[in-house]
Amino acid sequence: MVDYAISVKNVSKKFTLYHEKRDSIFESATSIFQKKRHSETLQALDNISFNVKHGEIFGIIGRNGGGKTTLLRIISKIYSPDSGSVDVKGTVIPVLALGLGFHPELTAITNIYQSSILLGFKKELISKRVEDIIKFAELEKFADTKIKNFSAGMQMRLAFATSVLVDPDVLILDEVFAVGDLNFQKKCFDTIMSFKKRGKAIIFVSHDMVPIKNFCDTVMFLKDGKIGNIGSPEESVSAYVDYLSTQK
Amino acid sequence: MTTIREEMWKFKGILFNFAISDLKIRYRNSILGILWSLIEPLLLLGVLFVVFSSMFRFEIPNFPIYLLLGIICWNFFKNGTLFALNSLTNRSALITQIYFPRSIPGISAGITASIMLVFELVVLTIFMVIFGFIPTYTVILLIPILALELVLILGISLPLSVLNVKYKDTEFIWNIVVHAGFFLTPIFYQFDMMPDYVQNVLQFSPMVQIVTMAHHVVLYGTLPSINSILYAVGSISVITVIGYLIFRKYQAKVVEEM
Repeated sequence: MVDYAISVKNVSKKFTLYHEKRDSIFESATSIFQKKRHSETLQALDNISFNVKHGEIFGIIGRNGGGKTTLLRIISKIYSPDSGSVDVKGTVIPVLALGLGFHPELTAITNIYQSSILLGFKKELISKRVEDIIKFAELEKFADTKIKNFSAGMQMRLAFATSVLVDPDVLILDEVFAVGDLNFQKKCFDTIMSFKKRGKAIIFVSHDMVPIKNFCDTVMFLKDGKIGNIGSPEESVSAYVDYLSTQK
Repeated sequence: MTTIREEMWKFKGILFNFAISDLKIRYRNSILGILWSLIEPLLLLGVLFVVFSSMFRFEIPNFPIYLLLGIICWNFFKNGTLFALNSLTNRSALITQIYFPRSIPGISAGITASIMLVFELVVLTIFMVIFGFIPTYTVILLIPILALELVLILGISLPLSVLNVKYKDTEFIWNIVVHAGFFLTPIFYQFDMMPDYVQNVLQFSPMVQIVTMAHHVVLYGTLPSINSILYAVGSISVITVIGYLIFRKYQAKVVEEM
């Protein structure tokens, strides 16, 4: 038996789409008397299974709305799957889209504490590393500035620095390179490679096929919630490109 | 209930972190800061005192202290539940990015209200010194009474926080309940001034019993009546159990509704 860092088995997830979202009790009550259907279900993920080994960089590609973010949220326990199971060894840090759920009215330092305690790290450990985090993110001047005054790139830098310096076992990166400058992108790549060397699993989501081809060991192509292809980066990327050309 | 307790133990660090940051966010950009949490009840005290001691000539002994004690008990309830109401919706960014138990924001709202309660109790003590009022040893019983009130607050806060994500009406309904409750609780009058048939209904209100018990132990130096204790514990147990069941039903889907 191979020891996997992440193992996802037969995960499915449905969402209910309300065409006219009923937000008030009155609307809920009156809708009982209306015959019209207000909702339909969307199969966001359909029977997804895959494994990620220690020290593997696992890429996920697919169109917008293809189920990538839903899958990442299920792996990081934010959503619970309708069926199937997810088994993750150790602590996961999800760096989804923008930031780590930073509160705009709190300072950078307070947000580092808040997010990392929530992710399950001890306060003493964070106290030791908070200076390194700020330094890595190149935000020394802005340590006591409220997040609302940060640019998107600065927020992402802070989120990335926090997540790598508290040293999780599994790192989930969703479009982290989209907003950083070149200098910081280089730093990210180096950090990711050192994570890989130390045997940590990384899930990497991007719409940019260049880093996907250069870094990933395995790539999964998600096609409308189903697995389109799982295999080497070249295979999956070409499956994705073929799929896109048939869509036109 | 055991699962909630285990989670709380694991996440106790973040409970206080949330509570303190809530206070900071609440009073950001204000010159008087946390003093506002004291000015508000004191202004209310002034207005009620002027209206009811000069216009209506209520003959309640130690009226200023009677009023302030009622206001403080009521504020604790009001603050706790109103903070909790938006505790999940205010943190939608965090909740959609990191997993943590959905009960944490609601419970930390209770802690925020408790911190403000402590400040207000200090003011009450200062008032007692100014008016030369010395309570008897029964005043120590105020602690279990306020602890019981905290249970009530949490029992209401948890379902309110998840319901408010799904139904925005929760906020408006609860604001009305809090408004009406202020007048239906013996804060500026005595409960036995009410006609019997009103008393028969209102005795089931946990806040009526809590404020009455607080008056007994602080002002009159007597133990609360067995009746009060039974009604308070009974109604609070019912509310807390129902509240927990509602919370459990809605909590798993809360993120998807955001």
